[in-house]
Amino acid sequence: MPFSSPLPSPMALNKPPPSPSIFKKRSSSALGGPIPSSAASYLTALSQADARARNANGSPTSTPALSLSSSVTSSSEDTVLHDYADNDSNANGLLLPARPPTSEQVFTTVHTEFGHCANEEYRTTSQHPPGTPLPPHVEQDPPYYILLSTYISYLILICLGHVRDFVGKRLSPASYRHLMPRNGYAPLNSDFDSFYTRRLKTRMDECFSQPVTGVAGRTILLLDRISPDYNHTQIFTGTRTRALNISSYNYLGFAQARGGCADAVEESIKRYGISSLGSRLEGGSTDLHTISEALVANFVGMEDALISSMGFATNSTIIPALVGKGSLVISDELNHASIRFGTRISGSHVRMFKHNNMKSLENLLKEVISQGQPKTHRPWKKILVIVEGLYSMEGTLVNLPAILELKKKYKFYLFVDEAHSIGALGPHGRGVADYFGVNPRSIDILMGTFTKSFGAAGGYVSGSKALIDRLRVYGHSGPYAEAMTPSVLTQVVASMASIMGIALPPEMASSSKLAIEQEYHHPGPAPPSSLPSWLSLPPNLASGAEGSSRLRRLAFNSRYLHNGLIKLGFITYGHPSSPIVPLLLFNPGKMNMFHRLMKDRQTPIIVVVVAYPATPLVTSRVRFCVSAAHTKEDIDTVLKACDEVGDVLDLKHGLPKRQRWTVEEIMKRAVELGTMA
Amino acid sequence: MNATSTTLEPVFAFLESTLSTAQTTFDKLPGSAVVLRYVKSSHRNDPGRTVLELILFAFAVWTLLQSRTRADRNGKHFIQFSEKEIDELIDEWIPEPLAQPLTSTEQSDLASMPIIAGPNGPKPKLVSTGKTAVNLASFNFTGLAGNEHIKQRAVETLRKYGLGSCGPPGFYGTLDVHMDLENDIADFLGTEACILYSQGFSTVSSVIPAFCKRGDIIVADRAVNFAIQKGIQISRSTVRWFDHNDLNSLEEVLIGVEKERKRRRGPVTRRFIITEGIFQKDGVMVDLPKLIELKYKYKYRLILDETYSFGAVGRTGRGLTELYNVPAEKVDILLGSCAVGLASCGGFCAGSRVVIDHQRINGPSFVFSASMPALLAVSASEGINILRSTPSIFETLQENIRTARAVLDKLDCITIPSHPASPVIHVNVRASHPAAPPMSPSASTGSGSSKHQHSNPQSIVSSKDKSQLTPAEYEGEERLLQEVIEECLGQGVIVTRAKGLKGQEVVEPRPSIRLALTSALTKKETEKAVGVLKAALVKVLGKRR
Ligand SMILES: Cc1ncc(COP(=O)(O)O)c(C=O)c1O
Repeated sequence: MPFSSPLPSPMALNKPPPSPSIFKKRSSSALGGPIPSSAASYLTALSQADARARNANGSPTSTPALSLSSSVTSSSEDTVLHDYADNDSNANGLLLPARPPTSEQVFTTVHTEFGHCANEEYRTTSQHPPGTPLPPHVEQDPPYYILLSTYISYLILICLGHVRDFVGKRLSPASYRHLMPRNGYAPLNSDFDSFYTRRLKTRMDECFSQPVTGVAGRTILLLDRISPDYNHTQIFTGTRTRALNISSYNYLGFAQARGGCADAVEESIKRYGISSLGSRLEGGSTDLHTISEALVANFVGMEDALISSMGFATNSTIIPALVGKGSLVISDELNHASIRFGTRISGSHVRMFKHNNMKSLENLLKEVISQGQPKTHRPWKKILVIVEGLYSMEGTLVNLPAILELKKKYKFYLFVDEAHSIGALGPHGRGVADYFGVNPRSIDILMGTFTKSFGAAGGYVSGSKALIDRLRVYGHSGPYAEAMTPSVLTQVVASMASIMGIALPPEMASSSKLAIEQEYHHPGPAPPSSLPSWLSLPPNLASGAEGSSRLRRLAFNSRYLHNGLIKLGFITYGHPSSPIVPLLLFNPGKMNMFHRLMKDRQTPIIVVVVAYPATPLVTSRVRFCVSAAHTKEDIDTVLKACDEVGDVLDLKHGLPKRQRWTVEEIMKRAVELGTMA
Repeated sequence: MNATSTTLEPVFAFLESTLSTAQTTFDKLPGSAVVLRYVKSSHRNDPGRTVLELILFAFAVWTLLQSRTRADRNGKHFIQFSEKEIDELIDEWIPEPLAQPLTSTEQSDLASMPIIAGPNGPKPKLVSTGKTAVNLASFNFTGLAGNEHIKQRAVETLRKYGLGSCGPPGFYGTLDVHMDLENDIADFLGTEACILYSQGFSTVSSVIPAFCKRGDIIVADRAVNFAIQKGIQISRSTVRWFDHNDLNSLEEVLIGVEKERKRRRGPVTRRFIITEGIFQKDGVMVDLPKLIELKYKYKYRLILDETYSFGAVGRTGRGLTELYNVPAEKVDILLGSCAVGLASCGGFCAGSRVVIDHQRINGPSFVFSASMPALLAVSASEGINILRSTPSIFETLQENIRTARAVLDKLDCITIPSHPASPVIHVNVRASHPAAPPMSPSASTGSGSSKHQHSNPQSIVSSKDKSQLTPAEYEGEERLLQEVIEECLGQGVIVTRAKGLKGQEVVEPRPSIRLALTSALTKKETEKAVGVLKAALVKVLGKRR
């Protein structure tokens, strides 16, 4: 693969020589403070803090946003010790917080899973300023030479690939055998169909499918691998590397092996076992399903909800139950593969509109309603508009207020896939409706997944009771797909309850039926009766204090990273409130380099790079997924790394030089950046 | 020479006139002069470029025609409306409601769905009655549910990995425990490799479109399960159907396809046979050795869905390949479910390395979905360990199956299409008029097909299905079976009807009660529970006569 960057390097050699690189030296003070010198000193500090808290005997929530659960604190020590088996020093700055806890601070989380961050300044509320329109998303163009070199890169790649195929087929036919017809069998995958995979993706395989172990929390353990043969095989070296994880969909940081949610899951495994043993309609339903579905409905503010054991399958099995022949699905052009899968199975007609472009949507609506069905011109039975709340490759937010305005006029039904936005957006974490302050019941179907913010698995659909009951019977999952397992349900219930807080809701409960079309009030905390009787969450989770702190940490981190990258001069996409922050790379060769340079720093950072076909050909990008588990110092680390790598790879094509800030200034003015819109 | 030119004269004249009219119409088109000038000059400079541009243009037209979602604006069916008319049409348009409310039958059906309080297993407690009951409905063939060792390993895993993996396999969602389970399954079955999906049901509907594309040929059993049907539908391949579990019919279809190809002189395309090990709809078992023989003879690849036979038959539960002693690598693409066979969650596909690696990039629900939680993967791995080391599980299971069949086979008010070794047992009401056969030949060999006329392989509807139930009869049978179920529930035995998607299945299976036997019950308990079912069947169906 050609490099347009000035740093050529052998592509497929995964492990660089162990000699210290310039990056290692420069990033050694990445944490902005003294790094505790040894594990022992940190552990002493931790246990002292623990002992102080035990003696204090005061009200558990007396310290700001932090509270105590003694059993958890002691168990977190075990994990810290366990971690030292893997990495025996804190040289990477990931194991221990920049500062040991002070006497008032007792942290209930393990720092490697969920970072310790006590500074209340690093918090924001995720909310759309009421009364203002959503600013349109502008895609900034890079200078022409970047575009040109990107096209040339692809051209060279394609030519080289064909030359290699041409020569390879003659010199070593054996390695092409599985791509050729043989003994009367057509190949499973022809050389033409697999060209992109073999000749372009293989060069970047180092960036994909990296196996990991442990919790996908603030940090993650990579299983180191090398490739001796240009990525055809990968060999595990047996060593492991701890890296800062800014790639998992762990928005609220509920991917934890310790803490209230994990304790609840353990209890549920002991009580319920592993599996639900069957489909929902054929003997796989338990009381836990009923409880969880009611809680989900309450959480998103709908009448009823249906849970399915896989997020992808939620879309692919529910959409066909909603629309069919004679119906029209209008889909955003960037909708997720599961939505396309579902609409294709449904047999309904599909039309697409430009990504998040309300004008394009309205024009299309005018056309399709006036024209009716193709050829026959019969009116459509129904029109379903499917959009996502937060787009996973762009970080753009759906323009919900504008769509709801259109919905009034054009009478279509609205399906919002909240896979990435539920839990991650809104002052109460209830997704895009909460973010924009609109009544969720003005949307017909809210779908979402638990794989992201809740650290679980599976998905849900919610809507009116009649609709959901119909989906229970007519959705494909009901009779055939395995029901969600009790452990996953418990993670959903526990994490959701900690976002909501557990308390009797205020008065409005009875009048909520009447207020449907009026001003939106987000549903209050979860009443204790709505949870399994055996579930007991520690006080910091049950009070909702921690949930709310997580929401505000996520909002701060998202804005801080997003605005920080812009101020550094990078081109980013998406809305500043979005925890998905794409940084544009353009040249395909830079993807590998960016990935490698971030991973090989003294504080290793793992990133997701995506290219064609997941994105348009020219706009290859890195996608950061910010989490509430990150501390401000973690975001600093990422910004610093991007600053250095960005200079080397010539990535800063956004703000003109004069308007850029230095990374030191950005770190100093973090609060300002993290709270500005 | 002269004669020919005179005879051709009118032809030339005609050609000339058409050409000139074409030219004048072309000249009249706005902008045509520019186009013409452009073409001329570019052709003069570089004749090769004209060819290239022509090809590009043809390609553009072709792709536009291909696109299914293209705008119809310029199509011949487009009607021009004024703004006002459009507004009126929009005002007039009344969509159907998004969802019709359920009918009262459907509602009562939904309400009668058993809900279990606490852990599910061989003897769970029911929410509705508050009492424990013997469970013949849930899939727990191997009795792994509630296994204390597995639970303990799951908790250990939880404490190391947390619950969710928070990412698709491509982006830091591949855990070491996933790779371990993949190796465990591949090793257990004896295949080269294996790939995990996070839900059993969506596995096959993702595997099929990963391999089968437009123009490929699929030959499938008429009674394949819903997930396979959807996979076939989304693949857009050419489908031919053969009679349910009738391998003679399969062979005829294979011969027919080959003839057709020869006649058309078509190229060799990918060809697949898709069928199930034990069928979800009726518990019939396929004759694997014969099937393999056919697939080799006609050069097809075999996609075998073992969801209900993996962890169910064979000495240690390896499924049909173990039962028939066929090496698993002879099945090109073998699918199974960890949810059914191993009492965990998720599905898998096993096969050669090429087959598996292809899916890692092309399987939609693998690529675009988060990987399964670590603790469920470890539970499945532990499940395999237990199956490997405890063949007695399957001895007990088979004994229970024999016991159940001994009780039920004697009844003459029902028919059982299921294979005698299948732990999934479907019970149909015996038709009151004996002419209507059950959905399938109950013999598993597929030999009894000599008499009937052959069905059209292009249609999923078999000629044998002519004698299908009328909707009224269908509902009547469902009601009777539901009565049986309530009766059993009253006696402390949970059984369920085979639930389906009414109106969405291409061929509606006959209403049936579906039993799932388990090795977690003793022979006595099974006998007693099935005895309750028998009594209920006799009571309810006897009343009918
Ligand atoms: C918009 C959208 N819908 C659905 C899904 C599928 O969710 P899951 O990973 O839980 O299968 C995703 C996952 O990436 C998604 O982004």
